[in-house]
Amino acid sequence: MAARQPRFNQQVLIDTTPLPDNIPKVTEIGASSAPLLSASYFIGARCKPYNDDYMVCKTEANGKGEMECMKEGRKVTRCAASVLDDINKHCLQEFRRHWECLDNNNQQLWQCRGAERQLNKCVFENLKLEKVIPGTPEGETPVHLRKRQIYAHY
Amino acid sequence: MPQDMPPTGGYEPVQYKRNLPARGFRPSVYLFGVAALMTYGFYKVGKGIREQNELAREKMWSRIYLIPLLQAEEDRDLVRRTLADRAREKELLGSETKVYNSDRFVRPTFAISPSSVTK
Repeated sequence: MAARQPRFNQQVLIDTTPLPDNIPKVTEIGASSAPLLSASYFIGARCKPYNDDYMVCKTEANGKGEMECMKEGRKVTRCAASVLDDINKHCLQEFRRHWECLDNNNQQLWQCRGAERQLNKCVFENLKLEKVIPGTPEGETPVHLRKRQIYAHY
Repeated sequence: MPQDMPPTGGYEPVQYKRNLPARGFRPSVYLFGVAALMTYGFYKVGKGIREQNELAREKMWSRIYLIPLLQAEEDRDLVRRTLADRAREKELLGSETKVYNSDRFVRPTFAISPSSVTK
């Protein structure tokens, strides 16, 4: 309940004051959950150093650090935006197919392997980003590359 | 009066054993059959659990890769609101008042709402 958004009785009041001018501007991502989920492994692959920097900064500030980590946070956002821009530029069709499939299937990744395979192929050819799941047991096909998905209903 | 005596040649043997044909296979066949079925079933269950573990790992890492991005956006929004709040307070009261007796940043749980909504 602590993180509940304050709501007023009459209207929802939204503070629209922008950030002061001495803080550099950054365009927010503005994507909904399905495209983000679809692109997450590529964001992770390209932006790992920035993400790690940011998380180290947050950890050193004991999980606070909203002010201190703004610079790293901007880098994280810009990097993720660049990945999404590149995917949109080169693989728009495959990307759209995959995240629409995710949206239609309760955002369960195993239901959309066909679309995902095409997206991964296109992204690997154009952006040289590969989906790797850390911690997969040795000598086992990673779950996203398996021919048969036990739980998928196709 | 003479007593009743057994018939000559003795009584016929009493049938106390069941005399029904044994249906089906030998019991051991059923035992091994069920054992085989169970083994196959548990093998499939194990496969499914392994795959579920991998799927869970995939989901977790996709979220882990997104966390910095989401957190950065959230933090920026919080900073924006806090700075706006401070500026508003300064404008209204002419000074920055510390509500808490500490320098630690406390997430604001209150907001000044305008008397008339302007949007």
